[in-house]
Amino acid sequence: MTFSDWIAEPVNWVFAAIGLAVLFSGFRVVTSKNVVHAALYLVGALAGTAGLFLLMSAEFVAWVLVLVYIGAVIVLFLFGIMITRAPTGLDESLSSDQTAMPALLSAAVFVVMTWASIDAFGTELLATVGEATSTQVIGESLLGRFVIPFEVVSFVLLAALIGGITIARRDLTPVEEEERMSV
Amino acid sequence: MSWEVDYLAIAPELIIIGSLFLVLGLDLTLPRLKKYWTATAAVAGSALALIPLAFLAVEGETISMFDGSYVVDEFALVLKGLFLVTAYIVFLMSVNYIESERYYQGEYYLLLLASVLGSLVLASARDLIVLFIGIELVTGPLYLLAGWRKGDVKSNEASLKYFILGVLSTAILLYGMSVLYGLTGEITFSGLAEATAAMPNSPALTMAVLFLIVGFGFKISAVPFHFWAPDTYEGAPTPITAYLSVNSKAAGFVAMLLVMYLALPGVSDVWAPALWALAALSMTIGNLSALRQTNIVRLLAYSSIAQAGFMLVPFAAAAVAGADLEEAFSATVIYLVIYAVMNLGAFGVVIAGARTTKSGEISDWAGLSNVDSRAAVLVAVFFFSLAGIPPLAGWFAKFVMFRSVMIAGGAATVVLAVVAAVNAVIALYYYAKVVKSVWLDDATREFPGEFDEPPAGSLRLALAISVGLTVVVGFFPALATFVADASRVIAAGG
Repeated sequence: MTFSDWIAEPVNWVFAAIGLAVLFSGFRVVTSKNVVHAALYLVGALAGTAGLFLLMSAEFVAWVLVLVYIGAVIVLFLFGIMITRAPTGLDESLSSDQTAMPALLSAAVFVVMTWASIDAFGTELLATVGEATSTQVIGESLLGRFVIPFEVVSFVLLAALIGGITIARRDLTPVEEEERMSV
Repeated sequence: MSWEVDYLAIAPELIIIGSLFLVLGLDLTLPRLKKYWTATAAVAGSALALIPLAFLAVEGETISMFDGSYVVDEFALVLKGLFLVTAYIVFLMSVNYIESERYYQGEYYLLLLASVLGSLVLASARDLIVLFIGIELVTGPLYLLAGWRKGDVKSNEASLKYFILGVLSTAILLYGMSVLYGLTGEITFSGLAEATAAMPNSPALTMAVLFLIVGFGFKISAVPFHFWAPDTYEGAPTPITAYLSVNSKAAGFVAMLLVMYLALPGVSDVWAPALWALAALSMTIGNLSALRQTNIVRLLAYSSIAQAGFMLVPFAAAAVAGADLEEAFSATVIYLVIYAVMNLGAFGVVIAGARTTKSGEISDWAGLSNVDSRAAVLVAVFFFSLAGIPPLAGWFAKFVMFRSVMIAGGAATVVLAVVAAVNAVIALYYYAKVVKSVWLDDATREFPGEFDEPPAGSLRLALAISVGLTVVVGFFPALATFVADASRVIAAGG
């Protein structure tokens, strides 16, 4: 398939546009010197990814991405930045001086991964995108075939929740502790 | 479609979940002075969970659930037993350590139980999803527990380093798994084994396998993915360090061996040389770095990196030589079991000895035998066992390792055996240095800590179990072979 064939498909225009937007947002997440901006660019990257899932008729995954990641995780991120009184403005210390080696390494990993992916899947065409997997099927397999990982994940979340609170909370000073003991 | 669940087969997991919720409830309701009950619940839970294991072992049936993605066979039972016994010992070591320093107790046991649950799930995992969730549940709580000494900058560093590198390696592992799924369309190990054996070797397949090795290499802290280990081990609370170096390392090994042995035997020409290099590098760099350590916990950290290299030797050697993997598999399991017991003992004695010395510097341990002869005897037992001196258990681990290399044969294997032999000698030097300091050197100062009182009962029980196993297995290695023979019954599921 040549490039002119590829670009003749309207769906590929959408794909290209979203892909470039995700690429740009992802790049800005890393290079942004303002932590709030970085979080907002992450919203862009995630929204674009959700768009890519929609293109593949995986609407459930797409909306989960929007609801959970954009709706909850990023918002928590911003709350976290506000509540911990972290600097929200321009922060020079966020950027490290050592950029050459990591950039080189990332570029090398990118080249290897792209080459391997093109080699493995490059000529394969996605057959006309089939019927969308219904949410019912996903729900049933989560509580049937995949019930063990599904339940075990809840313990990962429970542990993260409780451990996170314990690490983040302010410890009582010895005086306060005395007061609490005597009550 | 309905899916049958055998509740006896998952009873150990259910008991751990039960005690986890019990700890949560007790922590909420009990007043501060009675929080030690949470420790009792955790200890009892890990002991009770062994009972259904015994039933299952007597039955000896292989139970396969959910399309063969969750399997309870003898291999899984042996490893679950190992995880539970080592967790039990770590809980016992934690009791007084956590109580005496005003840490959050209830949350501590809850997180540790969650990690134990992950290791139990992992031992039964026969597909990539269960395996991934299991290994994340093992390590996730440990990121937090490593930073449990909140007031200590070193503990903060320990937690942060472990977390950042851990998340990076998890991402790499997951990427490798997703490429593997993309190539084959399979997630169960049996399906993957068929699909990869039939597939021509492609760059994408090689990349996926190498990404998996990088991910697992971090979990077992093999060189060159070991940079987090010494700092994390030093900063974390000592019982957590013991857990990290035994349970979480064993979990990483189990995950790695399961995937390589059951899912990817067809592409062993990719992973065998990689494992060979990991083994040789881990042994050599781990041991050479250990030589220069002055802190006893850092020394044990580097020693555990080197021990991971020894553990990889049989498997890597057999795979490179194209020999039968089953023999090597059981040799690695024997090494893992013996290492777990003696390394836990070594950390236990570090906790016991630190009560007297109040320091982790080896020079501060000089002359310990004059004031606390029992701790000094235990230092000698565990460190000589780690070095592999008969009649302590460590010799049998090394013996089995070398024997399986001999069986494998071939030039590359011989090179690896020579590397291992040289490293065994180097290791003897620094283990013996600690024992010499404790027994032969004169004390350079007054010991600041208390040495009139014996250590707490729970710590003594933990030490008694480890020293008992170390000595008994050393004299009767048939016990360890029995365990390893049982673990040969490994089912791919499906």
